Amino acid sequence: METLSNLALGFSVALNPFTLMLAVIGAFMGTIIGALPGLGPSNGVAILIPLAFTMGLDATSALVLLTSVYYGAMYGGRISSILLNIPGDEPAMMTTLDGYPMARQGKAGDALVISGVASFVGAMFATAGLIILAPMLARVAYLFGPAEYFALYLLAFTTLGGVGSKNQAKAVIAACIGLGMAMIGLDNSTGMPRFTYGHMHLMDGVDFLVAIVGLFAITEVFFFIESHGKGSAIGVKLAKVTVPIKDLIKTSGSMLRGSVIGFIAGILPGAGASLGSFLAYMAEKSVAGSSGKFGQGDPRGVAAPEAGNNAAAGGALIPMLTLGVPGSGTTAVLLALLMTLNIQPGPTLFAEHPDVVWGLIASLIIANFVLLFMNIPMVKIFVKVLMVPAWVLLPGVTMISFVGIYSLSGSYFDLVLMVGFGALGYFLRKLDIPTVPVILGILLGNQMEDNLRRAMVVANGDWTYLFSSGISIGLWTAAILGFVAPMFLRRFLKRPPQPLDAEAD
Amino acid sequence: MKTTLLKALGVSALLGLTATTAMATECIAPADAGGGWDFTCRQIGKLLYDLKLVDSPVQVTNMSGAGGGLAFANVVNERNTDPDLIVAASSATTTRLAQNAYGGATADQVRWVGTIGGDPGVIVVAKDSPYMTLSDLVEAIKADPSKITFAGGSAAGGFDHLKPLQIMKAAGFNDAKAIKYIGLNGGAEAITQTIGGFTQAMTGDISEITGFIRSGDVRALAILSPERVAGFEDIPTAREQGFDVVVVNWRGLYVPKGISDDAFNAWATKLQAVADSAEWQAVMEANGLAPFTLVGADFQGWIDGVVAETTTLSREIGVIQ
Amino acid sequence: MASDRIFGLVIFGVALAYVASALQIQTSFLSDPVGSKVFPIIIGSIAALATLVLLIKPDEDPEWPHGATWLHLGIAVAVLVAYAYSLKPLGFLIPTAIASGVISYQISPRLQTAVLTGAGLSVGLFAIFKYALGLGLMALPRAMMG
Repeated sequence: METLSNLALGFSVALNPFTLMLAVIGAFMGTIIGALPGLGPSNGVAILIPLAFTMGLDATSALVLLTSVYYGAMYGGRISSILLNIPGDEPAMMTTLDGYPMARQGKAGDALVISGVASFVGAMFATAGLIILAPMLARVAYLFGPAEYFALYLLAFTTLGGVGSKNQAKAVIAACIGLGMAMIGLDNSTGMPRFTYGHMHLMDGVDFLVAIVGLFAITEVFFFIESHGKGSAIGVKLAKVTVPIKDLIKTSGSMLRGSVIGFIAGILPGAGASLGSFLAYMAEKSVAGSSGKFGQGDPRGVAAPEAGNNAAAGGALIPMLTLGVPGSGTTAVLLALLMTLNIQPGPTLFAEHPDVVWGLIASLIIANFVLLFMNIPMVKIFVKVLMVPAWVLLPGVTMISFVGIYSLSGSYFDLVLMVGFGALGYFLRKLDIPTVPVILGILLGNQMEDNLRRAMVVANGDWTYLFSSGISIGLWTAAILGFVAPMFLRRFLKRPPQPLDAEAD
Repeated sequence: MKTTLLKALGVSALLGLTATTAMATECIAPADAGGGWDFTCRQIGKLLYDLKLVDSPVQVTNMSGAGGGLAFANVVNERNTDPDLIVAASSATTTRLAQNAYGGATADQVRWVGTIGGDPGVIVVAKDSPYMTLSDLVEAIKADPSKITFAGGSAAGGFDHLKPLQIMKAAGFNDAKAIKYIGLNGGAEAITQTIGGFTQAMTGDISEITGFIRSGDVRALAILSPERVAGFEDIPTAREQGFDVVVVNWRGLYVPKGISDDAFNAWATKLQAVADSAEWQAVMEANGLAPFTLVGADFQGWIDGVVAETTTLSREIGVIQ
Repeated sequence: MASDRIFGLVIFGVALAYVASALQIQTSFLSDPVGSKVFPIIIGSIAALATLVLLIKPDEDPEWPHGATWLHLGIAVAVLVAYAYSLKPLGFLIPTAIASGVISYQISPRLQTAVLTGAGLSVGLFAIFKYALGLGLMALPRAMMG
């Protein structure tokens, strides 16, 4: 009951024509920023913070604007994943795996609608979780120490085998490339440089955004130059855009499962939306078993990761609000905003600033509905992107990628590195080596190592500490099963080799 | 549909315009959003604008890398004469400079404008911890250092790590290598690990954990300020408990070396105005900061002293050779 | 068959070099039980082991492009690298027009459309980034901006 009156309080501060207008603007800008490769939710929110001050917005209005941008970007990331095989931001990476094949079959509209609804389901699920359980769920973070986090990352890497490639060894190599690159830069534990060879730009390590834009967007350009656009989704005859009721019903289970997994990943600081969408996809794939056509345009492969990454984005607000621990770059920016407004997140936030917390929750709900109602009709506009000729679209995407990366650090070094990743991506894709593990390695490598080392400090070098709690034993078991099971299953089922072509990964 | 879209675009274009016109002051926070430097930039930036000391809102740029080293190098090498640039700094900056962790950069390559607040160090334990006083903890470490791990928000050898090392040194325990420490991404993560029971104590700044102290999830064993801090009078100082250690993390700014004396003095005056404002007092109280204001030439001299002291200390403890 | 073997050998070599380089990492006085070297060495070793699978059981060869296409790809890489270096000194408009024009021509070799694409993208994107998103881009070389 108290929750309801709190929620009413939230809506009373957040719901008025002015804030609704801000929500619409924020949702729109967020969607665009999210869809542009290189520009993601954290850029979006960071760009808009000074704007919020220029306009002299009060705390609630500023929060409404920025949460709409935040959620908008999470929605928007999927658009370029599906249409162009280029994720708009890193959590949308998994959506390329089945979204792009769907677009090539002329089902871009379906994919966009399904993923839009999945985003909504995931985000609403997370918001509901935030409303009902936030103070309790904050305790989950207390259960995860170094050993547990290490096991969680290990789980992500051992289940990689099934992504995109038939050959598990290739996924392992790809993961090692990513992990190896993650080691470049200052060692977090000791502050000593590694693999930098005295190069100042390398001190900071390899930015995963540079990698993701290079490996997807620039690589895509090279493939277009080679094929002149044959076999791509551009110019494919599009089916009429309708709401695919059947597919939505069929994927509702995937959306719910994806939401739960993503939400849990979001609550854990250090796991975040990318891991959420990844685990949601892998879980869905194993639930589907041999009935799935994952990697070739299975609608469930679009629904699960999108629900997962949006649920994770919502879940990440829990440690941010209740512990002051930002689980992702974006929540870090929102945290900064709260602190500028003199609101210190932490265990006492819900008691001390109910108006802010419930105003935020109300604005999340508003943003979500605005986004759903904006995104579904706009699918008709989005798919028009595919009618733009490749010789305009691809140069455009390239230039946007350059500006996006350039805005990160203002250095030519990152741009050259990005082109390097593009060339690497070309060879990897030719050889049917999945690129997702490379990104995941860069994204999680340092955290994985740091947690291993922290665990060993705490345990005085005793390796058994890694499997000393119920949670870590559970995660290790899942990790080992996840690695071994595909090898045996393949042998058992003796599936005929699937006709995967080189570009479907 | 289309008209709404166009309207929205129009509004956003307008907003974008207003945000970029006029030569805006830029504040570089040499870390990701959400940390102490980011806090400094955003708070000082906001007050500079609210108090009408600058004409347009201060743009905060997050330039993380090499623990602030990337931003430092960028300012020295590329922005050396930019009068509209301020950079957030703290004890972490001087600690790293003193330990030569910025790839050979030195403190005299920039000009130090001032500090307008101090963030006293704290040592805290979880509420169910057996250690009731700082002495309990120190004695436990002396008895068996392998049983106690500190969590902090800096890398090994950094500012948070030095705090327990200094306390143990004051207690006559000189084996720095034996004291266990893990560095996490910021104080909030360190406190989470400590409440979760994975580490036995946390070392950080008080502003990072005010919420946890108020909620009763942790017990602060000692505050490392010269005197007790307003708002947190219950927390005894380390000095009272017989450990003569004072570690206060100052929060302030530096500017490029190449700007004119007038420009430098203008920044010093503006910073003093921020420090004197009622708004800043409110910010300090809300965040557990202690008054600590030094601007202009005084601050420059103080910084030189701090860097020299930290170098000596780090060498004594063995963090650097 | 050969492609996977060659790739496997290359990665095998890189992995060994990586491990060798990891062994050279300076360790700090205040090091933890694991240290800075162990994790990179583990990664390098796993990569080296995984390449053995490729050497023993390679997949089918992909369809590699022919001579002229390689040249095109090489030109594209060169143009993009040059673009990266010129963005700061030459401003946004001119390098963007040239680079996007070249890429456009490579995808669809018609001079007229390529020139139009280059000019259009350069001006259009500049307007969007500068005015709608508020990014601090320079239109022209600093010298010409006065």
